[in-house]
Amino acid sequence: MYQLTNVSKLYAKGGRTVPAVRDLTLAIADGDWLAVQGRTGHGKSTLLNLLGGLDRPTSGSVELDGRDLARLREGQVTRLRAESIGFIFQTFNLVPTLSAAENVETALIPLHVGAAERRRRVEAALDAVGLGDRARHLPGEMSGGQQQRTAIARALVKEPKVLLADEPTGNLDEDTRDEIINLLEKLWRERGLTLVLVTHDSAIARRAGRVGVMSKGLLTIQSGTRPDPATDPVSS
Amino acid sequence: MFFLTYLRRELRRRMRQAVFIALGLALGIGLVVTVTAASAGVKKAQADVLKSLYGVGTDVTVTGPAPKQHSPSSGPSKEGQTFKLGPGGAQICQNGKCHSAAGQTIDNLTASNYGPISQSKVAAVAALKHVKTAAGGLALTDMGVKIPKNFGGPSSQPPTPNSFNVNGVDTSHLSLGPLSAGTVTSGRSLTGADAHSNVAVVDSGYAKTHKLKVGSKVSIAKHSFTVVGIVVQPQSGSPPDVYIPLARAQALATAGPSGKSLRNEVNTIYVAATSAADVAAVQAEIKHLLPGDTVTTAASLASQVTGSVSSTAKLANELGRWLSILVLIAAFAVASLLTMAAVSRRVREFGTLKALGWRSSRITAQVLGESVAIGILGGAVGVALGFAGSAIITSVAPKLTATIASSTGQHVVMGGSGGQQSFSPTVTHTVAVPMSASVTAGAIVVAVLLALAGGLLAGSFGGWRIARLRPADALARVA
Repeated sequence: MYQLTNVSKLYAKGGRTVPAVRDLTLAIADGDWLAVQGRTGHGKSTLLNLLGGLDRPTSGSVELDGRDLARLREGQVTRLRAESIGFIFQTFNLVPTLSAAENVETALIPLHVGAAERRRRVEAALDAVGLGDRARHLPGEMSGGQQQRTAIARALVKEPKVLLADEPTGNLDEDTRDEIINLLEKLWRERGLTLVLVTHDSAIARRAGRVGVMSKGLLTIQSGTRPDPATDPVSS
Repeated sequence: MFFLTYLRRELRRRMRQAVFIALGLALGIGLVVTVTAASAGVKKAQADVLKSLYGVGTDVTVTGPAPKQHSPSSGPSKEGQTFKLGPGGAQICQNGKCHSAAGQTIDNLTASNYGPISQSKVAAVAALKHVKTAAGGLALTDMGVKIPKNFGGPSSQPPTPNSFNVNGVDTSHLSLGPLSAGTVTSGRSLTGADAHSNVAVVDSGYAKTHKLKVGSKVSIAKHSFTVVGIVVQPQSGSPPDVYIPLARAQALATAGPSGKSLRNEVNTIYVAATSAADVAAVQAEIKHLLPGDTVTTAASLASQVTGSVSSTAKLANELGRWLSILVLIAAFAVASLLTMAAVSRRVREFGTLKALGWRSSRITAQVLGESVAIGILGGAVGVALGFAGSAIITSVAPKLTATIASSTGQHVVMGGSGGQQSFSPTVTHTVAVPMSASVTAGAIVVAVLLALAGGLLAGSFGGWRIARLRPADALARVA
């Protein structure tokens, strides 16, 4: 699915060039779960942005199903994001004026799905994350966990191939964190998603099939040791 | 529709800011509507005044050159009539010869404002290419005064002159000239059969003041005229007081200081062009034909009207317009800045939408929609404010006055130890014109367009900001 070849991303900062990602070559197969760990500022989010087409590499290629995101026009990348890539953010990034259902609906707007079909899919997505009864609630009326569930529903409602999660439990307490990770794992397993998850949390990272550690823009892949989630709840 | 749901929710969230922007736009638009309404009201008042001066259907008037005034230092005029006050008492000088004026009645019909134009020129003007029809007329002043027997003595009071305007009307062309605008309220108008009769039509205002009615007699140049009709002009401009047949006016009137008879002369030619578009061409043709005469259109005549109607027109057109523009610029600037600020606060939201696959154009349309909705709200409130402003102007504005000066045709020389001084008494006609500001459909269209422009302008700034927003940067800024 993903094939990154010699990818570098450089930023200009204070008159000098800072490499956020350096000469990265990586393959992520369909249905993989890759956890990316690393210290703040070492390129984790930049990698996620490159995978999601939110940013373009300075050099190298980022191929998704054989299409190089670096070479696509902006409109094509936008279309690809709308159809194939779901995002989950640490701060949920829900639109505060829209209800849970309307927030989930925002992911279907660029796909020009009809209103009735949108309603059906939104309802199904909220049911899948256990928020069927919260559809009309505004983000401000929901807990952090519920907001993140809404964000997950928004990411999944369009049935993407790839789910990119940037610290999805970073703003949640331990119980809620377990709840969200279990939900993500369940959905990943049921839907055959390709999941790339950035986290500081080693316990969460251990749940992934593969774990990569970013350090100074370099990614080192380690093989994952997947414990049984039923017997080994996540702990930090 | 998701677009409207999102728009409504967003406007509700920043209700205060939206109301603030809308009120700013409303203030500017309300001012524009009010000023436009006031300006239209003043223009209508001006048009009414001009219509009564000018007559319905007249596009151009031609007037003879103003006669030269007699110099006081040159002694009694060799021609015409001069009234002289000095140590020897009051004297009337006629054709250079002076005699005592005590106890006498003077009643002269003179054309002192405009010099004579040969009547043959009327036909020449009528024959011009772009002229539909032309009619001659005489704008005259009847000056009557009774000199007391002891006038000039130590305790004598100066006599009070009775002056009124007389218009000689071409009875074969009644559709042109000042009488054409009037409505006969009593009796009848002049007809072709009246051409050589001592009959007169009297303006309703003059008739009321002097208690005249159909059948009354009016003395003009010591001749008795029978009032056959009372006429009211559409607006109380400065209409002639009395209308008499042109032929009678020509027979009785003299040309101001010169004292020459005005037989076969006119001093005004009323001209109708073949179309409104031809007025300028007609003006040019007549100037070429009659180079020494004054050719006036309604537009140029408007500049001769003074008084509060003129001041208000200037106020509405200049100060009002600039004030409106300034307020509008300020409102547009505030709306644009606040929209930019709102976009800045929503960077994360827009970055997220871009990450979800929303195109920049879609997000820009959303922001533009919000701005235009605020603009429309501002426009609606602005139109309401405009109506309120117009109503206030109509109810509290004092009546405007239009003043048109004209000479009496008399020449007075004052003698004394300091030498001789002379002046020509000037009669100013001041008329009250009601000020009525009314909001026109055009003003409402302008308001709607301004509202849309304000909304689009403010939204465009926001849209420009969104278009430049890179999703990775937007998300990183808040991550």
